[in-house]
Amino acid sequence: MTRTNLDILINGERHQILIEPHWTLLHVLRSVVGMMGTKENCLEAECGVCTVLLDGKSVNSCILLAGQTAGRSVTTIEGIGNPEHLHPLQAAFIECGAVQCGYCIPGMILTAKSFLDENPGRRQSRDEIREAIAGNLCRCTGYRKIVDAVALAAERMSVAGAKP
Amino acid sequence: MNAHSRRVAGQRLPRLDGIGKVTGKHVYAADFTLPGMLFGKVLRSRRAHALIRKLDISRAAAIPGIRGIITSADIPAVRFGQAVRDTSVFALDRVLFAGHPIAAVAATSLEIAEQAIAAIDVEFEDLPTLFDPEAALDSNIRIHPDWETYKALPIIARSGNISGRARIRAGDVNEAFASAYRVYEHRFTTPLVHPGYTEPRTAVADWDANSNVTVWSNTQLPFDTQNTLAEILDLPAARIRVIVPGIGGGFGGKLRIGVEHFAALLARKTARPVKVMTTCEDELTSAYPRQATVVTLKTGVDREGRLLAREGRIIVDCGAFAGSGPGTAAISLQIMAGPYKTPVLALEGIAVYTNKVPSGSFRAPAGPMANFAVESQMDIIARDLGIDPLEIRLRNIVREGDLGPSGEIHKSVSIEECLRRAADAIGWEQRNPEPGRGKGIACSWWMTTGGSSGVYVKINPDGTATLVSGAVEIGSGAITGAAQVLAEELSLDLTDINVAGVDTQTAPFDYGAQGSRTAFSVGNACLAAASDLRRQMFDLAARQLDAEVNTMVLRDKHVVAGSKSISIAELARISRLSGGGLIAHGTAISPSPAYDPTRLENHPLPAWNSPSYHAHAVDLSVDSATGSVTINRYVVAQDVGFAINPTYIEGQIEGGVAQGIGQALSEEIVYNEGTVVNANLTDYKMPTAQDMPDVECILVECASAAGPYGAKGVGEPPCIQPPAAINNAIAAATGFWLDSLPMTAEKIAKQLRASRA
Repeated sequence: MTRTNLDILINGERHQILIEPHWTLLHVLRSVVGMMGTKENCLEAECGVCTVLLDGKSVNSCILLAGQTAGRSVTTIEGIGNPEHLHPLQAAFIECGAVQCGYCIPGMILTAKSFLDENPGRRQSRDEIREAIAGNLCRCTGYRKIVDAVALAAERMSVAGAKP
Repeated sequence: MNAHSRRVAGQRLPRLDGIGKVTGKHVYAADFTLPGMLFGKVLRSRRAHALIRKLDISRAAAIPGIRGIITSADIPAVRFGQAVRDTSVFALDRVLFAGHPIAAVAATSLEIAEQAIAAIDVEFEDLPTLFDPEAALDSNIRIHPDWETYKALPIIARSGNISGRARIRAGDVNEAFASAYRVYEHRFTTPLVHPGYTEPRTAVADWDANSNVTVWSNTQLPFDTQNTLAEILDLPAARIRVIVPGIGGGFGGKLRIGVEHFAALLARKTARPVKVMTTCEDELTSAYPRQATVVTLKTGVDREGRLLAREGRIIVDCGAFAGSGPGTAAISLQIMAGPYKTPVLALEGIAVYTNKVPSGSFRAPAGPMANFAVESQMDIIARDLGIDPLEIRLRNIVREGDLGPSGEIHKSVSIEECLRRAADAIGWEQRNPEPGRGKGIACSWWMTTGGSSGVYVKINPDGTATLVSGAVEIGSGAITGAAQVLAEELSLDLTDINVAGVDTQTAPFDYGAQGSRTAFSVGNACLAAASDLRRQMFDLAARQLDAEVNTMVLRDKHVVAGSKSISIAELARISRLSGGGLIAHGTAISPSPAYDPTRLENHPLPAWNSPSYHAHAVDLSVDSATGSVTINRYVVAQDVGFAINPTYIEGQIEGGVAQGIGQALSEEIVYNEGTVVNANLTDYKMPTAQDMPDVECILVECASAAGPYGAKGVGEPPCIQPPAAINNAIAAATGFWLDSLPMTAEKIAKQLRASRA
């Protein structure tokens, strides 16, 4: 198959990758770049574990062709915080006990980040949070503590007043 | 030590693996790769029951990039299985369900592997099929014509299509029914449901230069997987190393060998590492779902609603292989008895083969199915006799010292407290706050699965401890809980405990992350290891401090003897020079409770270890036009014995209720003539964040003498009651009960229309 060049910004770093036309962004992230924080499951955009941010908006990387991301900016879980400097959402997920097996959590956090970034400086109602994360399945938690964590992060980020 | 003095156990401390999980650094089996790794795929049957007339791999083998193909011709015809050895790696002369593995390929890419699968040529000759478990009981069609030649546990009674049958009996039911004020008979059905873990089942296998194989997998039971692989590969278990990098949920669906054998066989054939990962379709057509069941209950009561006798029968559709079907059928008997005092019992559980997916042990196997029947019927009886549903339960529940269904003695019983607190919390006095809205309650009991656990604990030179366990941290927080027990006993902080990954080559045996046992059993092993370490440290400290061992205590990371003290870190450093370091092996095994063997037939789990008791109460609304259910509030009162970490116990309860609500309202693997028609996550409907209420947890702490600080098993119970509690609330809202799961809007709307007509 003919490979084409993909020029892409991943977590602020420029990558030039030879891709096949049918490769998904998920495949490129996990199998080419080796960023395993983005998880793989249904490959049909139904479970949300592969969620990443494309130019700041959450997308399911399993059904997005890598070629469509040319020249754009991708943020994965590795790009929003690290163990020494956790993002407020990451800290809140730990603090609220919102993490169990954890497989859905990178996608869940990125979906929540996309949602909070759309409404900077505003507290979110539990119903709004539930609607925002409804595309990310979690089988461990029953969602309550995840909603707690997003609400806590939203509150802290709104108090801080800064764009998250 | 009293509860108030504990600094670590009982505290809401953050889990040890949390930071890795929120930053994407935690490695799961699905993330694991090796250089030069090939990708494996499995060819699965699309026929439900057929003879294989021809199997030709030549076209597939010629595809560039294919490195190996295996079929049943390449491997010994070993049969394996949990209770009945009825399963083979690949279909032998016939396929028994749509999804039955036929061949596996390894290729340099997944796409090439998929092309090869499509190019394998199979010709079938269809056989007559059996999809209905009740029909399968008496059918002349044999799904396993050679079942008599299969090895099985001696406790499994088999015949025809029956893979196992168990009974509990006490007294004469016919006599009791004859003298009863009323006798009620009902039939309930429940469907196949998938555990729904978010990480697919995955294995990477690699053979070393000495023909030993290492398998990195997301199994819940690394030692069981090791043993099964030993049989399939015809190797001593010691030459098979199973490592669990990380696991994205399991809920019982990752107990038994799934893809590890395909990876190991393909890796042997190709001399390359091979990764095999399931697809969503694989999961919903050929994983290990919860069995479908048919439950019939006949219950005799007196005028006051006291239970006099119960005859119950559960037919467990185990699919093409027995799997955990015989065990599930047997465990159902205790659930059919319920946490109730019933003097006369005749309970029977039957596991039967059909041409459907082989099923497994999804969270609280038998719990939701049998409880749906028992607790719905309790409400139906209450309504008929004009007794409040809470009151009829309070009249019948077991008390301390009562006999259980196996003749065991109920101990540490908290069911009344659970029922009263759940009812109070939901506002029981007002059961119909408005038209179309109702409240329901259901209760149950469940075992703390026993089994043995071992741990090694090593004190590091900086005074921290490393915990080596063979138990997988499946997500429940159980290993953090066990580490809290260890830290408490060693006067350390939780963050001083380093947890090693699970590796069968280095870890002591553990019965596995199954049942509701990990924090209980590994916690007990940690108690034992800590006790040994204290002895070692005191002996060493006696020489350093010139003090008597019997004057010593462990406090704030120091051994203290009167006014003298020495730090654990210092002792660890000294011990390195004097005797190989401070290291202990702690073990735990739960003794089986005494029971009356004359009541039981063929029951592999005759009496429950440290049972827990629980009640669920729900407040819901039913849309009068569409039949859709909205859950307004959901309350769980669960006896956990002692809450080692309340945060993660709540997490277990909230998550278990979510799975239970899925089973109650929406989840079902739908078959049409032997084919799954909803093998994707659009049509297999698991609850989303918008389907779930904020579950309210009441933790009841009625200590067990056997658990660490009194803890009981926690993980499975919250999945048991949601279907029954919701059915009872629907009945409070509408006047009718459903008799089949899931209780979809369509079924409810149909009944609403019928009741209006």
